[in-house]
Amino acid sequence: MNNRVARCTMFVTPTNPRFIDKAWTRGGDVYILDIEDSIAPAEKERCRTLIRESIQKANKGGASICVRINKPFVDADLPCAVWPGVDRIMLPKTESADEVRHAHEIISHLEKERGIPVGYIELYPMIESALGAVNIHELLTATPRKIYAMGGAGGYDMAMNLGIEMFASFDQYAFPVAYVALAAMVLDIEATGGVFVPNESGRVDQSDQAATQAAALHAAGIHHAGALHPNFIQPLVQGLSATADEIAWANKVIVEFGRLTNNGESVGMLDGKVVDKYEYDRATRTLDWAVACAEKDAYKAHALARAKAEGAQ
Amino acid sequence: MNDLHTQALGEKPMPKYIRRSLLALSLDDAKLAEKAFSAWADAIILDFARKQDRNWLQDVKARMPAAIHAAGKAGAEVFVRIQSDCAAAEMDAAVFDGITGVILKGVTCPADVVSSAQHLSALEAARGIRGGTLEIDVEADTAGAVWHALEIARASERFGAFLINEPELCANLGMQCAPTLDFDPLEYIKSQLITVATSVGGQALGMSYPLGLTGENASDVVVRQAVKRARDTGFKGAVCAHASWVKFCNEGFRPTADEAAYYVKVIEVFAEGIKRGMASVPIDGKMIDVPVDLRAKLYLKWANRAQARDEAKAAAHKKQEG
Repeated sequence: MNNRVARCTMFVTPTNPRFIDKAWTRGGDVYILDIEDSIAPAEKERCRTLIRESIQKANKGGASICVRINKPFVDADLPCAVWPGVDRIMLPKTESADEVRHAHEIISHLEKERGIPVGYIELYPMIESALGAVNIHELLTATPRKIYAMGGAGGYDMAMNLGIEMFASFDQYAFPVAYVALAAMVLDIEATGGVFVPNESGRVDQSDQAATQAAALHAAGIHHAGALHPNFIQPLVQGLSATADEIAWANKVIVEFGRLTNNGESVGMLDGKVVDKYEYDRATRTLDWAVACAEKDAYKAHALARAKAEGAQ
Repeated sequence: MNDLHTQALGEKPMPKYIRRSLLALSLDDAKLAEKAFSAWADAIILDFARKQDRNWLQDVKARMPAAIHAAGKAGAEVFVRIQSDCAAAEMDAAVFDGITGVILKGVTCPADVVSSAQHLSALEAARGIRGGTLEIDVEADTAGAVWHALEIARASERFGAFLINEPELCANLGMQCAPTLDFDPLEYIKSQLITVATSVGGQALGMSYPLGLTGENASDVVVRQAVKRARDTGFKGAVCAHASWVKFCNEGFRPTADEAAYYVKVIEVFAEGIKRGMASVPIDGKMIDVPVDLRAKLYLKWANRAQARDEAKAAAHKKQEG
């Protein structure tokens, strides 16, 4: 199941049984099987051979599956990464449209060969350098392959490229993150970045940091976040879901706007707040998101129960 | 290893230049040589006043070679600041052997850079300067320079850096220059210029808010903090509004001793992880993986290059004093 709910996208190293064997129990919406930076050079080849079985391991709990390949080894990595069950290929450190086109062509060939509907697998060009950021529009329009969501343009590699120490108290990626998000929005691609949340400790394992991040993203209408540690999963999944209060308010707005429309009006008041087309649209999006989250959660719960039952047998 | 990582490991140094402190001095300043010598700046910018007298450029041309020599005696790179809309005439008067390049003011479009690059090529040929060596830096002081930043940076192989002139940029944008806000109104523009300059292999120079705007001769603590923030923003140096800033820029626009010690630890811990087949290991809850390890190596090189730059300047001083 490849629905669009990716409240928490978690990196997993296929070469480490401690991580890959337990991933399905963690509750993440999406797992990224990494062949790139978390894999030691000497382990790359072995990692490639583990991807196919890792897909089955990681999605047992209903998560969607991505594979992050290596920029210099696209030709070697993709044949080991494109399998049924994979929803998205992540292209790290993308800087040119040619890189996207090259990956698209190989993926198309592999989809045909392996019985995957051609064009099914999404691409996610990761923006991790200044050059990638300024070239974002041409990257996103390089091929007809679907790019569902786009964000990033911050992080460790970007810090290295810009020559900055990360984890300052202010937004060090104001332009690249916003520029990439804006390019995505122009192309009707869901933007997943753009909100700065300080993390001066630089720790990636603290759940309160995850909750703070989720609250900031949620307030900005962003539904996606990434994680490097399992402690981030539940705060993100919970914090990026629509709340009961939001759902109740959205339902009230929709009813009120319907009443206004029937009376030939376009603007009204509800509990002291303006209700208009903008609020109606926002309420509709809230309910759509709530339905998508509920479907994903139900799917995950069913898959988890089934996997546990199979494990008990 | 991918391109980014190859670059990180040293084919292209980061930052491109060790140019932490730039101090502007006037050609008309009787103490130019003395000030340049005692400043310890990585670079001196030579300015000249535009006059009504029709022979003023001839006067500049006559005095410029000696001024360049004087400005560079203490090991500083020397730049001349040129007004873009009369670049040909001003470069004819100011470009001589001994300068690293020109700083163009008032750039509004990439054509300004293209035409200046052509003039520089002609001057290099005419004045015995190796072809293609003179750099063009762009002072971002107009809306056009910001709007066309990417095309400007890509307009010539000679492009080296953006320098942000905050007071003039604010004036050009119709913004007030008094630092009355509790946030930096130019934060996005600064990040843009840093990103764009980096994307072409160059760098950006600037100071953090509000010192970049006020140019205040602030206390040591304030300047030190401002430099730290500027470096964290991605600037690799700053034009010093006061000679007193130079010391803090030289110290601040480079990895600190504590950071260097931490990088050494990162490299050691990561190497141990790799031996155990792990390419992602923690230090105090921070993730250490390939880019973090590479960054540590890259920044150690940066620290060493900054140290070498200081030693070269010290040697130049000693030579002069001896």
